[in-house]
Amino acid sequence: MKIWLTMQKGARIRFIGHLDLMRTMQRALRRSGLPVRYSQGFNPHMLLNAAAPLSLGMPGLREIIEVPVGEEIAAEAFQARLNDALPPDLRCVAARAVADEHPAPMALLRAAQYLIELDEESPGAAACMAALPGMLAADTLPAIRKTKTGEKLCDVRPMIYEAQALGPRAICATLALCEAGTLKPDLFLTVLAGLAGAEKPDAFITRMQLYALKDGGLTRLEEA
Amino acid sequence: MRPEQERAVEQLLEKVEKPARYTGGEMNTEVRPWDEADLHFAFCFADTYEIGMSYLGMKILVSLINSLPYMSCERVFMPWVDFRAGLMERGIPLFSLESRKGLNEFDVIGFSLQYEMSYTNILDMLSLGHVPVRAADRGEDDPLVFAGGPCACNPEPLAAFFDAFQIGDGEEMMVEFLDTLRACRQEGLSRNETLMRLAQIEGVYVPRFYAPEYHADGTLSAFRRLDGRAPETVRRRILRNFSDAFYPDTFPVPYTDIVFDRIVLEIMRGCTRGCRFCQAGMIYRPVRERSMDRIIALAERLEAATGYEEMSLSSLSSGDYSCLKELIEALMDRFQDKRVSVSLPSMRVDNLVKQSLEELSRVRKSGLTVAVEAGTQRLRDVINKGVTEEDVLRSVTDAFESGYSTVKLYFMTGLPTETLDDLSGIGELARKVVAAYFAVPKDRRAKGLRVTCSASVFVPKPFTPFQWAAQDSIDTVMEKQRHLRDCLKTKGVTFNWHDASLSFLEACISRGDRRIGEVIHTAWQDGCILDGWSEHFKYDTWLKAFEKCGLDPAFYANRERPYDELLPWAFIDMGVTQRYLQLENERAKQGVTTKDCRKGCNGCGLQRYEGMCRV
Repeated sequence: MKIWLTMQKGARIRFIGHLDLMRTMQRALRRSGLPVRYSQGFNPHMLLNAAAPLSLGMPGLREIIEVPVGEEIAAEAFQARLNDALPPDLRCVAARAVADEHPAPMALLRAAQYLIELDEESPGAAACMAALPGMLAADTLPAIRKTKTGEKLCDVRPMIYEAQALGPRAICATLALCEAGTLKPDLFLTVLAGLAGAEKPDAFITRMQLYALKDGGLTRLEEA
Repeated sequence: MRPEQERAVEQLLEKVEKPARYTGGEMNTEVRPWDEADLHFAFCFADTYEIGMSYLGMKILVSLINSLPYMSCERVFMPWVDFRAGLMERGIPLFSLESRKGLNEFDVIGFSLQYEMSYTNILDMLSLGHVPVRAADRGEDDPLVFAGGPCACNPEPLAAFFDAFQIGDGEEMMVEFLDTLRACRQEGLSRNETLMRLAQIEGVYVPRFYAPEYHADGTLSAFRRLDGRAPETVRRRILRNFSDAFYPDTFPVPYTDIVFDRIVLEIMRGCTRGCRFCQAGMIYRPVRERSMDRIIALAERLEAATGYEEMSLSSLSSGDYSCLKELIEALMDRFQDKRVSVSLPSMRVDNLVKQSLEELSRVRKSGLTVAVEAGTQRLRDVINKGVTEEDVLRSVTDAFESGYSTVKLYFMTGLPTETLDDLSGIGELARKVVAAYFAVPKDRRAKGLRVTCSASVFVPKPFTPFQWAAQDSIDTVMEKQRHLRDCLKTKGVTFNWHDASLSFLEACISRGDRRIGEVIHTAWQDGCILDGWSEHFKYDTWLKAFEKCGLDPAFYANRERPYDELLPWAFIDMGVTQRYLQLENERAKQGVTTKDCRKGCNGCGLQRYEGMCRV
C-alpha cells in the first residue's frame, strides 16, 4: 500500500530546493519510525514520489508526495506521527491510503493553481491587472518558451484553464502542469505584462493546489 | 524587525546566492519566544552558515544556553558578500536566524574563535549588526560582546574589540558567566562593575583591566593590571567531569548541505601524544574520556532526534580511546539495522587500524586519511610525531587489503630544522604508498588508486613548544613548495599545498599582541573580509595595513623569540607550563622524543591539578 501525503511547504522554507526537501522528508520519516518501504539493492533508499518539484522561492500549500509503506497503517495515524517528526514550516495537512496499483501522482497531474501577488511598488502591476480580462478573451497567446533544446514559439492560451483577479493586486490562475505542456506562472506573467505593454512586475507566487483530469474537467489531485 | 524591513529582507533573499543560509527554521532549532527570556544571546560564528553549522562547539553551547530557563540563544553567521551588500544598502542590521532580531537587540553576543583569518569577519559582523566595533565605544546599553574557543588562548590581537574572553572549556564556565551577568543586571550594576564581577570567574579575561607596555625594539616589556581586583593570572577553565558534562541530545538538522552533515559524538577531549606543533594537543590537556555507556545513550537519542544516517566519533586522536573496539562494535550492533554508518575521522596510524576498519566497513567504505606531518624520521622525532614509516605503510596496506583505494597523506612544510632532504622524504614515502597498493594482488584490491598529498605551511602557535620559533619566510616556503612539487611527480599521486601568504598572516596574528588589533581593524576598514576564502583574500591590503600601523609583519612571524622575551599570552595559565614548553623545545632541537604521557607523567603542568590526569 502507499500513502499519499498532502504537504504544505511554508514561506520561510521556500528557498529549499527539491532534492533538499526530499532529503528532509526522508530524515523526518526516519525519525518518525513509520514503516516506509526501501528500494532493494546495494544502497537501499526510500521510494518517495513527488507530484511535481516546486520552483525555488515558491511556497506550496497542497503538494502531493507518495510514500510506499511496508505494512498496513491508518492514514490519520501516519499523518500524526509524521507531523511530530517534521520541522515547523513543513506540515502534512492530509493523508490518504491508496493501493500499490494506483497510478503515481506525477502520472495523474495535469494542472496547478497559483496565487500571484503582484508587488504594489512595481510600476507594471496596475496595468497587468487591467489587461487580465483581455488576455482571457484572446483566442491565441503566442509566447516564447524556453525548453531544453532552446527557445520555442508556442500558443499558451490552451494552457490557461482559468485566471481571475483577487482584489486589486492578486491573480489566481490555474495553469497546465504536465509532461505534455507546462505553463509556468512566471511566463504567464510575462505574457500578461506584454499584453499590458508594461514592465513585468515583481510577484510573490504560491502554488495553491494541484489538479488531475476527471470526466473532462479538473479535480483535486489529492482526491484523484 | 519592522514590517518594511521584513519585506526588504524577503526581496533581498530573491536576489542572493544560497538564500537558505539566512532563513533558519531547521529541525530542532526552535527557541523560547523572544519575550519569554530575560537575557538574549546571539551566538555568532565568523564564517558562513555551512561552516558554522558543522562546528560541534556551537551545537554544544547553543543547546546548553537554551537549556537555561531564563535564556534564549539564537544563531548568527557571516553573510556572503551579496547578502552583506544588500543589508548595507537597505540599512537592515545583520540579524539572527531564529527571530530575525538585529545583533544590536541582543544582551550578549558571543563569538567562537576558530581561525585567525576569520577575525575581520568578526569586526564586519558587529558593524553589520549596528554594534560599535570597539569595546571602548560601547555604552551602558550596548550588548556585551565576548569570545571563546581555541584562538582565545591568545586573546590580545582582539583585545580592543571584545569586552571579555572565556578561556578553556565552555560547558560550566558559560553557565557561571550567564548566571553572573543576569545577577549583575538585576542588581543594576554598571558595565564596568559587571565586567569586574565576570573577571572573577575562573577562565574569564577582561582586557580593559590590563595594559601592555613595550620596549623600544617593539617587544613587550610589561603587562600591567589597571585594577587590583582583576586576577593577576588568568587561569584556563578545565572541565573535570567531562563524561557527564552537558552534551546536546538533539542536533539542528539543516535543510541544505553543510560541511559535516552528521551526528558528531565527542568521545574524548585532549590528547596525550604531545606533538610539538599541535596547539590543540597542548591546550586541551588533560585527556578526558566520555564513558561508553554515555556515548551510546547520546548516540541513540541523537539518532532518534535527527534521522541522520551517519555518525562520527570525534576527538583529537580517536584511536587512543581506551575501549574503541568495544564502542564501535556496540554502535554497529545497535544501528546497523537502521543503516547508520559510523566513521572515525581522526585515527592515528599506530594503533589497531585494521580491526577498526573491518568493523567500520560492515556498513560503508570511505577513504583513509593519515597525518604523517613530516617526510623523515628525523623530523618526525623533532616534532614528536611518534609515527614511523612502517606504521604508515602497514596502515595503508591494511586499508588497501580491506578494499580502500583512496588515501590522503597530510604533511607540513616549514617545520623547525626542516631541510630539502625532509621534503624529498615526502616524495619517497608517497612512492612507497603507491608501491604498497600494487603489492596487494589485483583481485584483492579495489580499482582506482588515488593518493593525495596535502602540505600545509607550519604556523607556530602560542602554548606549543614551537611558540618561540620563526616561521619560514614566504620566499622560502614557496621554494620548498616548488621542490616538493618536483618530488611528487608520481603517477597516482596528487599534490595540494596551502597559500604561503595566508599562512604568513595567520602566523602574525596568532602570536600577535594588542597592536595587531589595529592592523586587523585597518585591514577590515580597507575592505578585507572573508580572508579564508581565496577569492576574497587581499594580501596587499593586509601588507598596507601593517605599514599604516607602523608594524613589521616579519617581527611577528619570522623572528625567533628568546626565552626571556615576555610573550603577549604569558599572563594566561593554560595548564601546560611555560617551563615545560621550553624543555620540549630544547628536546626538539636535539631530536629527542617525549613519550606518550599515558606511559608515565612527563610533568607538563597538569599534574598541579590534583586528580585531573587519569594516568
